[in-house]
Amino acid sequence: MKNNIAITVTGLTKKFSYSVKNPHSGWIKNLFAPGTKEIVAVNNISFSVKHGERIAFIGPNGAGKSTTIKMLTGILFPTSGTVSILGFDPTKDRKKLAYQIGTVFGQRSQLLPNLPLTDSLEFFGVMYDMSKQDINDRIAELVRVFELDPFLLQPVRKLSLGQRMRAEVAASLIHRPKIILLDEPTIGLDVVAKKSLRDLLLKINKEENTTIFLTSHDVGDIETLCDRTIVINHGTLIKDLPTENLAKTFVFEKYIDLIAEVRFTGFPELPLGIRYTHQDENKITVVVDINKINVQESLRKLLDLFHVEDIDVYNADLETVIRHIYERDTTGN
Amino acid sequence: MKETRLAINIVKILIKDRMLYPGKLIVDTFSVVARCGILLILYWYVFKLNNGVINNTTFLFTAWSMFFYFSFSVLHLSGIARTIMQDVQSGNVEVLFSKPVSYLLYRIWWQIGSGIFSFIIISIVASILLTLAIGFPPTITIGMFLPSFTLTFLLGAVLTLCVYSIVGLLSFWIEDVNPIFWIVDKAVMILGGSYLPIALFPPLMYKIALYSPFGASLFITHTVSPSWQNNWYELIGIQLLWIFGLGIIVYWMYEQARKKVSVNGG
Repeated sequence: MKNNIAITVTGLTKKFSYSVKNPHSGWIKNLFAPGTKEIVAVNNISFSVKHGERIAFIGPNGAGKSTTIKMLTGILFPTSGTVSILGFDPTKDRKKLAYQIGTVFGQRSQLLPNLPLTDSLEFFGVMYDMSKQDINDRIAELVRVFELDPFLLQPVRKLSLGQRMRAEVAASLIHRPKIILLDEPTIGLDVVAKKSLRDLLLKINKEENTTIFLTSHDVGDIETLCDRTIVINHGTLIKDLPTENLAKTFVFEKYIDLIAEVRFTGFPELPLGIRYTHQDENKITVVVDINKINVQESLRKLLDLFHVEDIDVYNADLETVIRHIYERDTTGN
Repeated sequence: MKETRLAINIVKILIKDRMLYPGKLIVDTFSVVARCGILLILYWYVFKLNNGVINNTTFLFTAWSMFFYFSFSVLHLSGIARTIMQDVQSGNVEVLFSKPVSYLLYRIWWQIGSGIFSFIIISIVASILLTLAIGFPPTITIGMFLPSFTLTFLLGAVLTLCVYSIVGLLSFWIEDVNPIFWIVDKAVMILGGSYLPIALFPPLMYKIALYSPFGASLFITHTVSPSWQNNWYELIGIQLLWIFGLGIIVYWMYEQARKKVSVNGG
């Protein structure tokens, strides 16, 4: 079903080069023939995305997420590799592609700061060559879905960050894009605003089958919004799997909480494969590597060591899993 | 068609913005009154000391020539250089590169829209005041004045945008274009007749003003001169040649710049 594919990325690489001064050379040589240093921001990544999918594209700072998203939108030119979005090559068909996609850059605003939000929405409608009637209908629709009414006539610069981000997303959807690419859309938002934005994106995905491709450091975005997660680090794709399977990546680690019967008075050395992650007089948390010791054996040994009132055994949360993935990739373990 | 609609919309939006926040109009008015007013008073005195005529020119022609310069400067088309530089430095360029528009055309229309409201208001009010104060030169009443003035004004605007777009686009390579901007801007000011009216230029400097793009972008300052009736088509030809030449450079630089984009965090 090739026509069900919205994005195809093959062997995508981006290298940035910059001049560096050689401390051993004179200033004339450094001025006219400086040394060059090259950074591989994205290194030979390949993946594809189906229509209507919700993709989290995650990685630590400097991993190459934003560079990839900018190559997908035609802002940056790849050093090598190919990108096809809805059949368009972003390097050659940037403007045609722009009619089909929406972009939100969490740290930059595309709205007109001094004027009411309606002016920005109308302005983008014109930019996307929509008729007056179409613009009005779409604005009415977005106002309803995104609940923009309370601040529609307020100058954009007077909106709260949460309101502005809702407005940013609404503006990027004015032309009914088939794909929306969001670069850290929830950055700086409080929990309520984050939830509201995620709910809206889910709604748009369900109602308009808009493909969502987002980069984020927020586990909540990934967990609640995305059905698939692609992990990138040092420019290399290191995981591409359904989000629900992400937590199972580290099933060899189990966490055990031990609640003290009275209080813990000491913290003895633990058997091989078990280590403390939290210890105080009321509660101890240990992590068990089940490749080295199974849960049953761990519990038996822990009960020999401690007098406990209650025990809880659970898997690592998603944030811990993601941190492990990053750390494991960095240390190469 | 789409481009025209977008251009009109940009200009409309910015006029609305300027009307809601008239601070820029006040700043522009003060700037013109301070700069142009002081120079006019100085030149009025200098002409008076020379029995009203210097280099076969009277204060009336000089004043209107300077007024055209300052009126044109209110459009602030030179600002495109710094706007592009700020877009590149802040990374904001990525927002516009993700839209179905030409970044450069968008910025050009944005620049025009930013200054047009102040330009119209200040030009109308100041020309009335100047007429009441000193009258207008007879050259303005000649039939071909208005069409040739309009043409050279429009070509001057296009040429100014070309010159400063080149400066702005350089920021894709060298990021801080302020030193280059300063040199170009001062060249335009001097050769355009800001400090010294072009009618008072020595012959060599007059030739440089005539044949350089810096001077050519402000040929409107020549329009009040009696010689304008004889050489307007030549000057407009010079403007067209520079627009053609610099237009190619702008286009080439823009295409190269697109491939050169590098944004923080990507």
